[in-house]
Amino acid sequence: MSDPFDPSFEELPVPVGRQRRPGWPSAVWLVPILAVVAAGALAIRAYLGAGPTIEITFDSAEGLEVGKSDVRYKNVPVGKITSVELTADQRAIRVTVELQRGAASLAAVDSRFWVERPRIGVGGVSGFGTLLSGAYIGVDRGTSSDQADRFVGLEKPPGVTHDQVGRRFRITANDAGSLGVQSPVYLRRQQVGSIATLALSPDGKRIDIEVFINSPYDRDVTDTAVFWNASGLDVSIDATGLHVDTQSLATVVAGGIAFGFRDSDPPGHPAAEGAQFNLFEDRGHALARPDPTRLPLAMRFHQPLRGVGPGTPIDFEGVRIGQIDAMNLGYDAASHGFFSDVDATVYPERLGAAYAALVDEGQHRGKTGPQMLQALVAHGLRAQLRSASLITGQLFIALRWFPGGRGTPPVAERDGVWIVPTERGGTDQIQDQVESIVAKIDKIPFDAIGGGARDAMQAASSLLGHLDRDVVPTAQQLVGQAGAAMAALRDSLSALRDNVAAPDSAIQQTTRSTLEQLENAARSLRGLTDYLQHHPEALLRGRASGSEPQ
Amino acid sequence: MIRGIDAGLAACHSCELVVRVRDAADDAGVECPRCHASVRFRKRHARTHVIALLVAALALYFPANALTIMYTEQFPERRADTILSGVSFLWARGSWGLASIVFAASIMVPVMKLGALGFLVVSAARHSGWRPRARTRLYRALEVIGHWSMLDVFVVALLTAVVQLGQFARVTPGPAVLPFAGVVILTMLASASFDARAIWDRGIRE
Repeated sequence: MSDPFDPSFEELPVPVGRQRRPGWPSAVWLVPILAVVAAGALAIRAYLGAGPTIEITFDSAEGLEVGKSDVRYKNVPVGKITSVELTADQRAIRVTVELQRGAASLAAVDSRFWVERPRIGVGGVSGFGTLLSGAYIGVDRGTSSDQADRFVGLEKPPGVTHDQVGRRFRITANDAGSLGVQSPVYLRRQQVGSIATLALSPDGKRIDIEVFINSPYDRDVTDTAVFWNASGLDVSIDATGLHVDTQSLATVVAGGIAFGFRDSDPPGHPAAEGAQFNLFEDRGHALARPDPTRLPLAMRFHQPLRGVGPGTPIDFEGVRIGQIDAMNLGYDAASHGFFSDVDATVYPERLGAAYAALVDEGQHRGKTGPQMLQALVAHGLRAQLRSASLITGQLFIALRWFPGGRGTPPVAERDGVWIVPTERGGTDQIQDQVESIVAKIDKIPFDAIGGGARDAMQAASSLLGHLDRDVVPTAQQLVGQAGAAMAALRDSLSALRDNVAAPDSAIQQTTRSTLEQLENAARSLRGLTDYLQHHPEALLRGRASGSEPQ
Repeated sequence: MIRGIDAGLAACHSCELVVRVRDAADDAGVECPRCHASVRFRKRHARTHVIALLVAALALYFPANALTIMYTEQFPERRADTILSGVSFLWARGSWGLASIVFAASIMVPVMKLGALGFLVVSAARHSGWRPRARTRLYRALEVIGHWSMLDVFVVALLTAVVQLGQFARVTPGPAVLPFAGVVILTMLASASFDARAIWDRGIRE
């Protein structure tokens, strides 16, 4: 092809415009650069968006499904379940979860995971939404900054989550009662927290409870606070009637803890996180005055102590100052008699001001506590079993004064425990008295008394019949005669009045004329006496003529 | 057989008018006297363009397949599917036909296009004399099939628009849709940039 141009093509048109535009062949490379940048950005975003993958072990994977169930924190999906499979030993379920990048901090060492399912408990219904949405894995974000990728899931939602503001306190209890996780904690009947965990102590002798008190009430938990078990009903009967006490209706069923403060305690400082408290069995025990001084006492009773046991109160002058701790039956080979050794604890502080005075006196005289006790015993202090109530049969040990015991046995000591001498009595005496009363009552001849009474009643009855039969008619007759006599008397009186009292009656007239004559006679007599006064000679010579008596 | 380039003749790319370009080496910047489109013996920088676009498509191919292309919420289930997991899901559900179509359109076709175009452009650059007719046929096939590789994007777009039943069913496009569309568009551009005549240009420099 020496000549590339064929002459026959000459008539073909030629192109125009030969302006040379600068070619940018490399400009097209911007496209792959942009693409790589875009792909890289997407990859980085995807990498950043993918959070850590963690494994959670559950006892049961009920309701969990790959692709359907997710992980939610505060009900917001933060991850997805990528696999659910048995562990190697086939005892549990291992759930692999892919957390979102933003939720990576949820994989803290102390984070907790649980399967949220519908649950119905005494405290209410929870997880109701999962009925429709299916189960999901709930997560409580831990506070640690260390990350973990293996977790053991909880079987129940935790009672308290880390994001709640407040403080935790430890409480040791002897008995869990009806308490459980999420049981409420009350202050003045206001719920201020709940039980976070509840477990047996490692040695199995106590119950370790962790309570969570919500802010701001956690400031109310001071180092002088006392906690008590507020579960169930507290029913008591006393002189003022029946008392039923409960924190709330919920505690009757679900149990609960309450705390408060003793009046005697100074207001304390807010307790530190994790402070340790004891759980009292009820409010009364919790708020009772504390007993810093414990005085162990021993007593030996030579009488049966039926109805007495650990907890039986010891009473001094009406104050309950202690209780019995233990009882042991002993045998005295010398007297072939049985006796009971009673160990008790006395809290002298309960005597209040009296104790303070005793201590003062002891210090003043330079005497120790036991010496003071010895002095009291020397003054006749004795222990005696007494009955608090004949109806309930409640017994107590009274420390009383027996003047007869003055100066007798000194306080003995046994293993560092002071022995208080005892007096028989109390219930024994009461029994004796009751028996003698019953015997006396037995001796009363109720039969004979009853027969005599019956005879007397019969005599009275016949007497009444006689009266009715014989006396009454006579009496009626007498009454009739008396009526007639009265009528006659009335007639006589009226006749008398007619004869005597009327102005024109004969008696009146006769009387009047008689009186006139008497008057005339009296006048004549006066004239005579006057004449005689003037003319005494008239008695001898008679009346002088011409001289008329005046 | 004489080629247009040998005879100094070039066809306008736009209106197909055959013009006489005198200097075979001097076809830069000339315009068609009829439609004023540029007139070239061959597409300019065709090989560079194709390779660049193919590289770009390849770069986007990875995120397109690795990322989620579609979120499906069908109460109570939520799914996040990549193309491959969607295909396997359809397959597991028993929709073998649908799975095959999606697999072919969304996975095989882009791969084939990338591979075939790469092969064509490389073989053309190396002036390979290997079965040019078959290679031309392959190119035509690519042109035809290429239109269908957008299927997946259309499916997602359609489902997103149609399936919006509130809480019960919802389809949302995932982050892989854009790179996937980018792959399809870039491969189409690459195949359009390719000058099939280069297959036959044995020993002719661009």
